[in-house]
Amino acid sequence: MKYIVPRLILLLLFAVPLSARSGPPVITLEIRDHLFFPDTIEIPANQKVKLLVINRDDTAEEFESFELNREKIIPGGAKAIIFIGPLAPGEYPFFGEFFPKTAQGKVIAR
Amino acid sequence: MLLSSVIIVLREILEASLIISLLLVFSRLEGLKIHWIFAALVLGITGAIAYAINFARISEWFEYTGQEITNAGIQTAIFLLLTAFVVLIRRRPGVNALLFLAMSSVVALSLTHEGSEILIYMSGLVGNPELAMALLLGAALGTGIGISIGALFYFGLLAIPRKGSLVISTLLLALFGGNMLSQATVLLIQADYLSSGQPLWDTSALLSEGSLVGELLYALIGYEASPYPLQVAAYSGGLVLLLGLTLVGRRTPEPFTNPGN
Repeated sequence: MKYIVPRLILLLLFAVPLSARSGPPVITLEIRDHLFFPDTIEIPANQKVKLLVINRDDTAEEFESFELNREKIIPGGAKAIIFIGPLAPGEYPFFGEFFPKTAQGKVIAR
Repeated sequence: MLLSSVIIVLREILEASLIISLLLVFSRLEGLKIHWIFAALVLGITGAIAYAINFARISEWFEYTGQEITNAGIQTAIFLLLTAFVVLIRRRPGVNALLFLAMSSVVALSLTHEGSEILIYMSGLVGNPELAMALLLGAALGTGIGISIGALFYFGLLAIPRKGSLVISTLLLALFGGNMLSQATVLLIQADYLSSGQPLWDTSALLSEGSLVGELLYALIGYEASPYPLQVAAYSGGLVLLLGLTLVGRRTPEPFTNPGN
């Protein structure tokens, strides 16, 4: 397998825009001063959603939700993608494990 | 800050602490040396530092799912090494070198995974002079409690009769292995490589994952209040495989008297 790295790069270059166009709906969430913006996200029930989390703080945060079964570290100044759902209608709280006092939010599936 | 750092560090330490204790107990029960642990600790701490330093870059791989892929890979590798371990432990002493390799790799991988998360958490805060003291104190407390619980398992399991100790250690090891596969599965669902389906059941009203007991059980045996079907399948598959290999691999049936009838 020669040129594996260039091939992978090419694959990524083409794969990223393609999947961005055809994948599940993308919802953007920002972390600023250890708070989530927005702190309430409404998504369609019974459908997969792609969360794009952008951490504007210098410190790492961990997106965590027991109800959503999700746990992911987002390094300071970095982006992360987390797929959630399909979810039954209801409320699903999430929080930032590293700053649990402030970083709180919820997903509402309708 | 103090309390949350205790909890975060403890949660990460517990898992590694449990598997270290179990493998040390097996070593002692089978009359093996335990010198392998030193190499494993050095490797694991080095691995944790290397993973933490490169974490942001690794996270961007595979369309920002590099973290899930890497951690699922680590957990699957731990499971496979545990499978090798339960097979090899019955074929001693010819395979001692391989046994040491399997045990130290399990510990090194577990520490790499759990340790890196602690380092990432701490690295963002330790530069802040107002928080640094509480953070370091909390981390020290969390580490201390985590190691103490591991030590409790170690001495507790060695204090009871050998047979009981073997049974409990084997069961805990199999639960640990099932938990690794279950966690790997949920990471691949999170990264959209596997599809989730609806959770099979929900016991969060009985025992919340956020409660102290829930957190402890999560760290020790992978308690999940609302698991996905694939997760349950992976967990029970791993558990059954490890237990089955242990039973099948018994060299010669020991003389056995049934006390019941």
